[in-house]
Amino acid sequence: MTTAVGRVGADGMAAAPARRVGKLHREGLAAYLFLSPALLFFCVFLILPFIFAIVLAFSDWGGFDLGTLKWAGFSNFGDVLSFDGTFVKPILVNTLLFAFGSVFLATFGSVLVAYCIDRLSFQGFWRVLYFLPVVATVVAIGNVWKMMYQPAGLINAVLNKLGVNSVGFLSDSSFALPSVTVVHAWASIGGAVLILTAGLKAIPEMYYEAAEVDGANSWHTFWSITLPLLRPALLFVLITQFIGGLQSFALIIVMTGDGGPVNATNVAAFEMYQRAFKFGAWGTASAMAMVLFVIILAITLLQLWIARRRGEETS
Amino acid sequence: MKRRGKFPWFAYLVVILGAVAMVMPFLDMVMSSFKGPGEYGVIPYKLLPSSFNLDNYRDAFSQLELGRLFRNSVIVTVSVTISVLVTSSMAGYALAKLRFRGRAVIFRFILATMMLPPFLLLIPTFLIMLNWPLAGGNDILGRGGDGGLTTSLVALILPFAVSGFGIFLMRQFMVSLPDEMLEAAKIDGANQWQTWRLIVLPQTKPVAITLGLITFIGTWNEYIWTLLISSSDPDLQTLPVGIQLLQSFLDPDRTMPIVMAGLVISTLPVLVVFLLFQKYYVRGVVLSGLK
Repeated sequence: MTTAVGRVGADGMAAAPARRVGKLHREGLAAYLFLSPALLFFCVFLILPFIFAIVLAFSDWGGFDLGTLKWAGFSNFGDVLSFDGTFVKPILVNTLLFAFGSVFLATFGSVLVAYCIDRLSFQGFWRVLYFLPVVATVVAIGNVWKMMYQPAGLINAVLNKLGVNSVGFLSDSSFALPSVTVVHAWASIGGAVLILTAGLKAIPEMYYEAAEVDGANSWHTFWSITLPLLRPALLFVLITQFIGGLQSFALIIVMTGDGGPVNATNVAAFEMYQRAFKFGAWGTASAMAMVLFVIILAITLLQLWIARRRGEETS
Repeated sequence: MKRRGKFPWFAYLVVILGAVAMVMPFLDMVMSSFKGPGEYGVIPYKLLPSSFNLDNYRDAFSQLELGRLFRNSVIVTVSVTISVLVTSSMAGYALAKLRFRGRAVIFRFILATMMLPPFLLLIPTFLIMLNWPLAGGNDILGRGGDGGLTTSLVALILPFAVSGFGIFLMRQFMVSLPDEMLEAAKIDGANQWQTWRLIVLPQTKPVAITLGLITFIGTWNEYIWTLLISSSDPDLQTLPVGIQLLQSFLDPDRTMPIVMAGLVISTLPVLVVFLLFQKYYVRGVVLSGLK
């Protein structure tokens, strides 16, 4: 706090001698010139679309001529949230299962891997291997896994070797969503490992030395030192993975084409995309986007709140 | 080194098993790209092809039109990367080193821009591009044309030309540049533009490499927006979109090995760039996690 106050004081904005005012004014002008491309961009590609998205969600509009746009009140939301439709169930349920499932798998996997890599030699090499899927395009990832899930693919070949019958990973409606979820988690482990590694490196060595002196075993050390001190990094991973998981649908398009079999892998953002660009139902689609946005916001705030509360309890 | 050395066999087991799971799909992709007729999609599954012939790669170029897709990918990726670097370092300089009214508000606003999820802006941004005034035959009110801005590669570049994250990254880096250096430039009579261009810009090389890489890889792999824009005009397809959409037009028995060859080719540039500069890329990801 003191530094912030100090800096304002040093700026001399309030008590600037008269001859400095002209200079500051010119500096302000220069600053706005340097910022102008960015600010103009954010007006056209962020503020304007955001307002437009809200307007669309409350309007009835099918074509491209803005003159035919009509106010529809909450009727779009009524349609979207009605339990007779497909949006709440199965699509929203799928979205949450997909996001929760991949966050769980990716977080569990990345904590385990990051913790283990931290004890090995050639750490950079291992992290690069785990990072490969993060760098690859979703089209490559989706197609390769689609291929591996086929009856004649790698995974069924391994299952058959183990004496298990082939599984229709993407064609069987009870396996399709978990199968896509695993791929999403697989692709996001590398990024999480990096963040968690940075978190692990920031834990001072002396805590581990103290635990050693106290005779704690590695399991105990992990639970009472590593995990609590890793919390900021872990929280970042959890929140960003959740946000990513709830809104991603590129993998679904690539792997199942239309969210099938029969909506089994359809998620909210994909349904929004289909409604808008296949059927031109801008209003309904925008209402879906708003519902999803509010859900993302609520879950993020909830996570932050839980993290803060638990932080107060333990410290 | 107390945190090392305990149960390393267990750590090795976990890390190696996981690494196999990470690499195996890519190995399968590369091996499949060499498989000849009758070798792909047969039971029992074989990882290795009978011979490493390059037929699929030749076919990928002729049937998937990789040359055209490659050109589009390069144009879009290079344009977006340059634009993001220039606009981020300009805005970052103003926020880090210049004193002006509203600086804190604008910085907070730019942080907030990172919170808006892309899917929310997808529909309105598409409609805005479609009704862009005086583009693609549109009149001043954005009516009457056929496609507005969506008929050229501009549509794939413009919405990604500025990055809130890029500005944030540049600003954080520039704050630590010594003020004395800038003061000296001013005393020598340099204006703000010259100070930015000649003094600040050369200093930002490490963070510029980081930001450039993140932008390059992200833009090269971008899928949803390009899919949408190119749906009415195949000339605008980039590598990921073109390979995904064109595979349905190929001879189904021969399709997958050719697609795999195309995917290997489209993955290689990113992979090479990543491996060469991975230190910088990793730092960018970690930096973004520490905000």
